[in-house]
Amino acid sequence: MSGWGKYIVAALLVAVVTHIVAIFAVPNVLMNVALQRLGGGHYNAWHLGDRVTAASRTIVRPSPDFAYSACPYDLATGPVRIHVAPWNDYWSLSLYANNSDNFYVLDDREARDGADILLIRGGSPPPDHPTATVVESPSARGIALIRRLAPTPDAYAGAAHVAPNDICASAAR
Amino acid sequence: MLRQILAWIVAIAAGLALGGASAWAALTVGVSGFSAHYGAWSLNRAAGSTAAGPYTRAIIARYGLLELSSREALYFNLERDEHGQPLSESCIYDLAGRDLATRWWSVTLYARDSYLARNDDHAASVDSSRVSAGDDGLWRARISSVQGNSVNWLSSRNARRGFSLTLRVYNPQRDFAPSEDALPKLTTVSCASPS
Repeated sequence: MSGWGKYIVAALLVAVVTHIVAIFAVPNVLMNVALQRLGGGHYNAWHLGDRVTAASRTIVRPSPDFAYSACPYDLATGPVRIHVAPWNDYWSLSLYANNSDNFYVLDDREARDGADILLIRGGSPPPDHPTATVVESPSARGIALIRRLAPTPDAYAGAAHVAPNDICASAAR
Repeated sequence: MLRQILAWIVAIAAGLALGGASAWAALTVGVSGFSAHYGAWSLNRAAGSTAAGPYTRAIIARYGLLELSSREALYFNLERDEHGQPLSESCIYDLAGRDLATRWWSVTLYARDSYLARNDDHAASVDSSRVSAGDDGLWRARISSVQGNSVNWLSSRNARRGFSLTLRVYNPQRDFAPSEDALPKLTTVSCASPS
């Protein structure tokens, strides 16, 4: 190959690699941003979001009809226990891996009295006598999110009253 | 020698620019190619799914991070009116639909930046718990920058041009089948003339 050909081929190769890297990197980069915004660098603790308003700029396309609680989790030191207190309307617990995949969902139809989850790293051995549903996370870090349907200020206040009973904490001994 | 070095630098820079631009284009211009369409509404069933491909995952991360998988909820988006024009604050729209075969639904208005429009009207959404059908079996909502005499109002004040609507369908029933007829219909009532 001579002349400009090798430069054009090189440019196209760099373009293809850049394109692929960018497409694969976007979810992880945005999830890392979300981890920082939702937890401020703190892990394994619930953070109840303010009622969604026009000023809410944490996560794109938030719904003003939900009370959101987020727990950025980190399984580096061991399993994390997640408890969701029941709510008198729709609620769900959803777990997201660091590539943004929603790998687990539980809602009030399946767990009317709330939920107890023991979150472990995928591939690690489960505890001998688990007292909660064991869920494997594909990644060491991710986000647990509770949605409680609360379309009115009064309903949001009720959800905010319940939220302190939620637990997201390291279960490592 | 210097010329060769410069040529390599230009080639690599051009490659980086081309690769970045094509990725950006795939995540913006190419969004509709990864969705199913029901009239003006679009739906990406792979949202949140562990089976999502890299493009779907990247698009969802950009426009709907932390969305639920389709097992739990469906997210329909509408960005253009019945004439194919971008939604605009200068227009008044009527949104009408029948009750959906689902446990709960809502329609939320987002500005072009994918956040709620910057106004203090507290009218960013309507949901199934707050609207009721009329004698014709249809619920109606008005999309406009001022409420006027509308009961169910989605405020587009400060949403400018290019805003969008998201229809959330939670716990859809087994027989929920999205179609152009089943989903709410948007009709342009009027648009202010450009001054």
